Amino acid sequence: MNALAGVAAIALYSALFLHVESQAAVLALVGAAVIGVPVLGRLGWLARVAASLDEHRLLGRVAIAVALLAVVALFHDQHFAMLMVASVLFYTVACLGLTVQFGYAGVVNFAGAAFFGVGGYTSAVLGPHIPHIAVLMIGGLLAALLGSVLILPILRTRGHYAALITVAFGILFRTFIEVNDALGGPQGLQVKGMNLFGWDLNTPIGEWSFYTNYVLVGLMLAALAFVLVRRLERSWVGLNLDAVRLDETACAVFGIDVARWKILAFTFGNFFAGVAGAAYAMMTGFVAPSSFTFADSLIMVSIILLGGIGSLWGVALAAAIVLVLPEKLQALQEYRFLLYAVLVIAILLVRPQGLVPRRPRDYFA
Amino acid sequence: MRISAVRCAVAFAAVITAAGSAQAQKQTVKLAFIGPLTGGVSANGIGGRNSADLAVRLRNDEAKAKYKYELVSLDDECKPNIAVQAATKAASDNSIIAGVTHYCSVTAIATVDTYHKFGFPVVVWGAVLPDITYRNKYAEVHRVNGTMINQNDVAAKFMTGLGFKRWVVIHDTTDYGKAHDKYFTDYLNKYGGQIVGRFGVTADQQDFTAELTKAKELKPDVIYFGGLTPIGVRIRSQMDRLGLQAVFEGTSGIKSDAYIEGLGAKLAEGSLSFIEGAPAEKLPGGNFFTSQYAAQRYDQGPEAYGPFAFAAASLLMDVIEKVGPNRKRVIDELAKVKDRDSIIGKITFDDHGQNVVPLISKYVVQDGKWVLWEDSDYGQGKRKLK
Amino acid sequence: MDVGLLGQYVANGLMLGMIYAMVAVGFTLFFGVLDVIQFSHGDVLTVGAFAGLATYIGLTLAGIASPWLQLAAVLLVAVAAMALLGALIGKYLVLPLRAAPPLNVLLLTLMLGAALRECVRLFYPQGANPKPFPRLLPADTLALGSFSLRLDNALLLAAGLAAIAAVHLVITRTRLGLAIRAVAQDAETARIMGIDFERIVLVTFALGSGLAAAAGVMNGLYYNEINFSIGLLLGVIGFSAAVVGGLGNIYGAILGGFLFAALQTIGAVLLPAIFRGVPSAYKDVFAFAAVIAFMAWRPTGLIAERSAERV
Repeated sequence: MNALAGVAAIALYSALFLHVESQAAVLALVGAAVIGVPVLGRLGWLARVAASLDEHRLLGRVAIAVALLAVVALFHDQHFAMLMVASVLFYTVACLGLTVQFGYAGVVNFAGAAFFGVGGYTSAVLGPHIPHIAVLMIGGLLAALLGSVLILPILRTRGHYAALITVAFGILFRTFIEVNDALGGPQGLQVKGMNLFGWDLNTPIGEWSFYTNYVLVGLMLAALAFVLVRRLERSWVGLNLDAVRLDETACAVFGIDVARWKILAFTFGNFFAGVAGAAYAMMTGFVAPSSFTFADSLIMVSIILLGGIGSLWGVALAAAIVLVLPEKLQALQEYRFLLYAVLVIAILLVRPQGLVPRRPRDYFA
Repeated sequence: MRISAVRCAVAFAAVITAAGSAQAQKQTVKLAFIGPLTGGVSANGIGGRNSADLAVRLRNDEAKAKYKYELVSLDDECKPNIAVQAATKAASDNSIIAGVTHYCSVTAIATVDTYHKFGFPVVVWGAVLPDITYRNKYAEVHRVNGTMINQNDVAAKFMTGLGFKRWVVIHDTTDYGKAHDKYFTDYLNKYGGQIVGRFGVTADQQDFTAELTKAKELKPDVIYFGGLTPIGVRIRSQMDRLGLQAVFEGTSGIKSDAYIEGLGAKLAEGSLSFIEGAPAEKLPGGNFFTSQYAAQRYDQGPEAYGPFAFAAASLLMDVIEKVGPNRKRVIDELAKVKDRDSIIGKITFDDHGQNVVPLISKYVVQDGKWVLWEDSDYGQGKRKLK
Repeated sequence: MDVGLLGQYVANGLMLGMIYAMVAVGFTLFFGVLDVIQFSHGDVLTVGAFAGLATYIGLTLAGIASPWLQLAAVLLVAVAAMALLGALIGKYLVLPLRAAPPLNVLLLTLMLGAALRECVRLFYPQGANPKPFPRLLPADTLALGSFSLRLDNALLLAAGLAAIAAVHLVITRTRLGLAIRAVAQDAETARIMGIDFERIVLVTFALGSGLAAAAGVMNGLYYNEINFSIGLLLGVIGFSAAVVGGLGNIYGAILGGFLFAALQTIGAVLLPAIFRGVPSAYKDVFAFAAVIAFMAWRPTGLIAERSAERV
């Protein structure tokens, strides 16, 4: 069926992309995608795949999970490929949180990296003492708690002013961490590897890369986040959030408590970012203030915009593109930020609804 | 379609030739070079990379070398998180056998655990923080240049010997700056100097007027600066702007041409720096290194630590020639390095992988150039530091 | 603390405030006219500073040595070049996205800023290194007790004031200024009245960017150094200052700029005095925390934006 064909095609492309080393091959693949995808769109093939995936939702999800596991199995012994896949998964979780904040409730958050960092530093500080499942939870809770400090200013402001609050907070967080010696200062802190119920993720299983372990954890987290956010969107909560985003005044007129929904969305989103940050820090083994700058927050916002605001699969796709592409284009290593910025500008000018636009709400499914 | 016999024969011949030439070709062994190729201290990073590259080229020109070497250079931007990424990238690539790593201390100390995790042997060529080799006993980490301990000992003794009494210490808040502060303070107290003020500044700080205004109040004779060239330039220039008259005493971090270029000869005049090892001309292999380096026409000079990078790369290649391209064997062999000849003198790694380099050179900026103290007009009494 | 030292701090704060104010005025102009936050403004400042530096190098190579002539040329080229760049940005990147959600424009300009920064870093020879900026102003110092007044600092302050005053005069006393204010107040009605909307918008962009270039050159002359990332923090601070002062209002922007500088200086001086062992590096934390707290108190800034909204 078209759905399976679509999933298989994406899986094959991803596997090829992760595999090739030579720059010429990478550029060829990128070129193929840039040309091929619009062509396929024109031919109607993309629409057919999308429709098929819609019809057979469960099958589609299972197929994607299987394809992902297949890719993992293929590259299970390559450190760098697994590191990239795991990073994409963790960033997806964080950006799903930001999607709830921004894509559903319309609360813009330019400090995503700061909340990611809160989770990371929680891992660094609490990791040696507390079971890591608890550390992940606490990381998320602390991020949510810290975010609640900003709630009052955010509720009282709108638009550009609210954006400024989060920008200021992001810079404040980074500067604070940098000057504060108790949290390692500019040097950062080493983070112990994850250890879940006795399974030390930093020891490889056989000749597998130890990053594969993190990929599995990342898959579980991402699947959980995905299901949660999707349920949220489909529920009455999601309906309220969308209403708040679309027209606050109308909401207030209809008796919807705008403040309550904004607080909920903001806190929920930051929780996800914190959990993802905690897990990511345990994987890389290191946190430093310069990992959580304004530029990193921008990357997260770009992922959401690139994928299509409010679209969950779009977030995953965009995270893959944003994180993996610069790593693969080694020859253009120095120019990668420039190219990346130009790419985002181009997308914003040409296709602002993103790569996988969010579909209108399906009331009578 | 029938395949012509001629075509068959040609194809066959081609295959044989290819196989034959493959036999005659040497196996390629990859070495990683990690240093700050961009950012404020990129001059030192690129100088180090060119030096390592020089070592690799000279080795590849030798017919009796068993392997063909390739240098994979990665940028750590003098930032710890980027360094960890670069280190992970190098160490997780199984075709890279060993690394010549790091000029910035902040990056070297951050990546120590990464190299240990992957079992990746490295030789540090420029970072002076003692903790890099002494915090843990990791068999993977070695260093050919000295640590800042000796540097600060000599600096304190020398400056108190010249009669200066009051110091203000400005250091950056990274481990590098803080360690400089710690060691210099210890030694200065030992030799009888007095520290009247101490300021910590961030490594990318632009404006120092607040700190320097307070420092001016304290009337110091000398401003000791523990940090790298970019902020050294800013502090010295803002000292002048605020009318703060004192001698500017730096560490190996400001010993670079970029410091003089950044300030101009007039402002840089009389700045001091201390560095382990000797100037290139005075090293055992110094002239050889300088002439070979010039022959390659790199667009960037080797800077202060180029010879160390060259020595590190050469050492690694010697070891690989002996034990083959296997990380474990390289680590074991590196532990046995004792009295090994190199262009910087004899290399011996102690049980923490640290090479002991006892010689410290004192430098002063004179007429737009870093000159050895003994050779300078200041050292010979013809000019005075103000 | 003696008066001389206090004077020194005040002078430092004034200088910083001047630069922030100039950037903030740019932000406020763009916002007033198009309701857009042009985040690449800080990086336009950087490009302007580098353009000035390049001009200086070119002039030195051509053998022109008089510092006043060099200064004039540097300023002229930087301002003109950035005015052009600003107009181009407005025409091809911002105007086409007028109808898009404001966040798209915000992100576009943020990315544009990043692109400009990277271009300077990559394409200017050795752009990643900090570059010394020439000392073109006379360096005489006037000592008043423990406070040393440097002539170049005074000149820079005066120049900054003059620039802001000039912009203010243009906005309030000229026909062009009248047109700009009309467009800022109500674009539709302005068009009905015969004002060429697009032309005014481009002129405003040019004006704001030219001001940023001047600020960049001043920044270079003050610190005697420029590097490719000065625009990032200056842009964020300028934006904060403009918002705190009240977007759309020039007086508010100037006020916000000096306020932010005051916050930073107070943080650098008072914090170590009150809390022992707190390094002055906390000044940025203090300043930004104060901004956030302030926004909670006065959400639309000091001189509030008067806006009408159709529900």
